Amino acid sequence: MRAMRVVVTVALVVCWAIGCTALGAQLQQSQSPWSQPAAELAGQIADILGPGQAQLTVRNLSTIQAGEIPSIRKLIEQDLKARGVLAGGTESANAIRVTLSENARERLWVAEVIEGNETRVTMVHVGAGEASAIRTTNERVVLRKEKMPSLVARSGGTMRDDPILAAAEINGHLVVMFDDRISVFSSAGGRWIESNSFAMSSKLARDARGILLPTADGGSFTAYAPGTQCSGSYSLPLNGAAQDSGWTVRCRASDDPWPVYQSADASSAPALKAFYNAARDFFTGVVTPNIGVDLPPFYAAGMIPRPAGGAAVLLAGVDGKVQTVENGVMRPIAGARDWGSDLAVVRSGCGMGTQVITSSSGEAANDSLRAFGIPALEAIPESNALGMDGTVTALWTAQDGKSAMAVVRNGAGEYEVDRVSALCN
Amino acid sequence: MFRRFAISFVFTLAALGATARTRPHYGGTLRVEVAGDPWQRPSGIARRLVYDGLTQLDPSGALQPALAISWEQDNSFHRWQFRLRPGVRFHDGTVLTSATVVASLKASCSARCPWDAVKAVGPLVIFTNDSSMPNLPALLASDQFLIALTANADGKTPAGAMGTGPFQASDFKNGVLALAANENCWSGRPFADSVEIRVHRSIRDQWLDLGLGRADLVEVPAEQLRQAQQQRLSVLTSPPIVLLALQVSDAGLLANVKVRGAIAAAVDRSALYNVIFQKQGEVTASLLPQKMSGYSFLFPTARDLNKAHELRGGLATGELTLSVEGEGAMQLAGQRIALNLREAGFNVQMAPVGVQHSDLMLRKFLISGNDPSAALERILWDADALVPVTEQTSADLYKREQTILENRKIITLVDLPLGYASGARIRDLRVRADGTPDLAGTSMEDAR
Repeated sequence: MRAMRVVVTVALVVCWAIGCTALGAQLQQSQSPWSQPAAELAGQIADILGPGQAQLTVRNLSTIQAGEIPSIRKLIEQDLKARGVLAGGTESANAIRVTLSENARERLWVAEVIEGNETRVTMVHVGAGEASAIRTTNERVVLRKEKMPSLVARSGGTMRDDPILAAAEINGHLVVMFDDRISVFSSAGGRWIESNSFAMSSKLARDARGILLPTADGGSFTAYAPGTQCSGSYSLPLNGAAQDSGWTVRCRASDDPWPVYQSADASSAPALKAFYNAARDFFTGVVTPNIGVDLPPFYAAGMIPRPAGGAAVLLAGVDGKVQTVENGVMRPIAGARDWGSDLAVVRSGCGMGTQVITSSSGEAANDSLRAFGIPALEAIPESNALGMDGTVTALWTAQDGKSAMAVVRNGAGEYEVDRVSALCN
Repeated sequence: MFRRFAISFVFTLAALGATARTRPHYGGTLRVEVAGDPWQRPSGIARRLVYDGLTQLDPSGALQPALAISWEQDNSFHRWQFRLRPGVRFHDGTVLTSATVVASLKASCSARCPWDAVKAVGPLVIFTNDSSMPNLPALLASDQFLIALTANADGKTPAGAMGTGPFQASDFKNGVLALAANENCWSGRPFADSVEIRVHRSIRDQWLDLGLGRADLVEVPAEQLRQAQQQRLSVLTSPPIVLLALQVSDAGLLANVKVRGAIAAAVDRSALYNVIFQKQGEVTASLLPQKMSGYSFLFPTARDLNKAHELRGGLATGELTLSVEGEGAMQLAGQRIALNLREAGFNVQMAPVGVQHSDLMLRKFLISGNDPSAALERILWDADALVPVTEQTSADLYKREQTILENRKIITLVDLPLGYASGARIRDLRVRADGTPDLAGTSMEDAR
């Protein structure tokens, strides 16, 4: 009697386990991203073929991983079976040839249903997924990339193709400088939605650049674009008006020098301003205040504080040379031969304390960023290269002084803003 | 042999000297060499440098504003209005107005336009048509509708090519077309100060000049891409955007669709792809390439000589003439097709080079942009068979293509890429959606 009870218990447990496994498998399949298109395609095939038997072949002309094809085939088989079409039987006169294809806009699953000499075609659309990977490093400083949420235009569409010159988070809003306007975005549902836009008639350039500088109190900003200077301010709207309606931006034609870097204390006034050549997209070399030496034309500048006090001015020249100006003397920096034209000085507190993050690409399709320490006259790598998803078109020190902001244009010509932080390893 | 070695050696040295990427420099002269006429449609390299369209395609093939900043349709795509970009001037200083645009558009297509009427109203250019024109903005981005000044403020015809593009024609001497940077270009001044285009230069001489540093950008025909890569040239290619197709007359015996079907079945596409074009691009029997449509594989490409004989049914077709657009590999492709057709019982003779009117024409069609509906309409326009393509879904476009191809007036063969090789000075070179190099966005490493 006792043995009988044990047998029944074991049998129940086994049945429960099998049931759970089957249910799990079923759930897994119903949760597959391919379930819906497979069911839709099977339905269309069944409508053409009617109940019966057919030989099924599945081939892949898309970017779907080969490892996923058996499960897709299984889904189609199951859905066909549910509609009375049995896949299999090489002797069957009917054949179903499924091709997993794709075009520039979407995935396309195509079924050719062959009955004797007649072939009929049906197809379903499948949404394409995206994946991105973040590379990390294992040196003294680790660069970490954080993509900012996507920008959504007022019309509701994405604005990934609009060239972004600069961006900053101010008063809980994202202020973005494009080549023809300054837009204010409000955060909603994990995205930045454009809420205000102010036209800016800057001179168009092939390699357009701009600077957007929040004020120390974080309530307003000054923006510089070729031939144009804008100032924006925010005041809390009255009478329950929308928070984002408090922005005012005014632009005027201007050839005033641009602030090229802040002093170590970001709350103070710009430490150096430089005149910008709007027809050639570089700084002329004329700076204010005068730092005691004639500077060559340059693309970017930064300031590196020295442990013993004082600071060195770092210049990325138009001629590709990187130089420092310290105590009125200009000297070349070694180890910077493969640097790009943009640089951002960040105070990470790790390694040498201050790093220069710079773009560097060589002939690779995508740019990369890397942090360097410059204790004297040599640039010493302090991080591994951080791969970016395209060309870095702008790079500057973020408002916190501890991270850099990068604008990246990918191969499809779409722009995104990334925050790159230098973390201690 | 020595020449080939010399070219390889020079490029190896150039590669060793490559430096890292910095911001692009302004200045310098880009030296380009081409085998054909730089003004010739649809891929003449000078056209896109000197002229702009109302719309343009970005490198990804998406439609973007150009001389028009916005456009909207009315009355179910029977009426379109385009708003012009303010402040744009032609190279001679003449202001771009809706009237100058209308005059240019009328000159570009005269009686054979995809619209019934185009008129200027203030800053607007308005198109109207009895038929729907759903793809007009994309069509206006094509090479045919680039805007040129037809008469200046004095009513006189301007001397030479006058557009609004990043470069202006400055001189043509000793086979070299000189273009100078347009300092006031609406889209920004180009990086290079000037471009020199040496015309009618053989491919062999182009490559030699590139190797010796006498040229910065040269052409690489599809059939020589493999060779260029073997010689370690820095090669840039477009996607397969040139559709090679046989356009078949429907006159005389060719009015019989079965005879045209026999021609389609007799053509050996694989031989063209493997032998003539050295496995570049892709074999196709559809109008839109697989990457654009996703369903191109549904159109069978295999040769079926038995079917060709069966469809011809012993009919004597008399002598058919086959003309070929282009030289070199195109002529070889034409000869190969003539051979295929003779094997199927057709008496085919090659027309002399330059003859365009014949029973069969081997032609190139440009497929640009990422909108399959607009691309299909553009092919039909180029084939003198313009009918609006309103289909949007892949299933509907497939049916439409099937209907077009069933009448066998266009027999598609191979999709080919366009290729270029550049020297070590060149940087940021990109290929536009129409396969031409974007020289306005290109700069040189040694420019200061």
